[in-house]
Amino acid sequence: MRFAPPGARPRRPRESAVPMINIVFLLLIFFLMTATIAPPAPFAVTPPAAERAGEAGAGPVLHLAPDGRLGFRALRGEAALAGAARRAAETGAALRLRADRGTEAARVAALLRRLAGRGVGRVELVAVAR
Amino acid sequence: VSAPFAFPAPRRRRRPSLTPLIDVVFLLLVFFMLAARFGAERALPVLPGGGAGAGWDGPPRLVTVGAEGLALNGVATPADRLAGALRPLMPAPDAPVVLRAEERVPLSRAVAVIERLNAAGIPTVVLAE
Repeated sequence: MRFAPPGARPRRPRESAVPMINIVFLLLIFFLMTATIAPPAPFAVTPPAAERAGEAGAGPVLHLAPDGRLGFRALRGEAALAGAARRAAETGAALRLRADRGTEAARVAALLRRLAGRGVGRVELVAVAR
Repeated sequence: VSAPFAFPAPRRRRRPSLTPLIDVVFLLLVFFMLAARFGAERALPVLPGGGAGAGWDGPPRLVTVGAEGLALNGVATPADRLAGALRPLMPAPDAPVVLRAEERVPLSRAVAVIERLNAAGIPTVVLAE
């Protein structure tokens, strides 16, 4: 049933794209501000949980797997240890040790001693909020 | 004064298209959504053991994390009484406490002890072998 007079075509006004662009810009700025872009972890590491821990610094991140594998960016093993220690000395920031929660604590202590042997005195253990 | 030239009638300027701009912004948005890592990680400061000791003040403070429980200087101590038992041994509030984990003790248990000590106002923990 058509009530419109014959010949008159219904004209829908085009929707403006400006509100959508506003929202997308807002999202973009939100992600820019909140996100930290970090190089991907060389292997899966689940850090231990800690409720009361400070904010992590900006130092280089050395990964330690439960079986003792080391990873820093693309480096593995002893080279990762040397690379992370060099990077920590360059930036002057505390080295962040991202060790798996299942790693033997004695292994972490041994790694800390090896790091101290390379001149890294300040180390932060990375933890996640519970 | 009459114009020496006859200008053509001004044309209406066309508005530039917004579509390429939106494309680029969406692309950036998707990139940041995929590349970002959320949930800020936290950090517990630890000191490496061995070779640190220029000076050690006061009585020994060795916390051993064993498979069964904690021990302070070889005496078994429950976790909730550890900080209280350490306090008389501390010459200064930021004096170091040595934490040693026995074999097969996972890092999560050692971190729980470090966290407990930090919460009790003992900020300097040395992780030793």
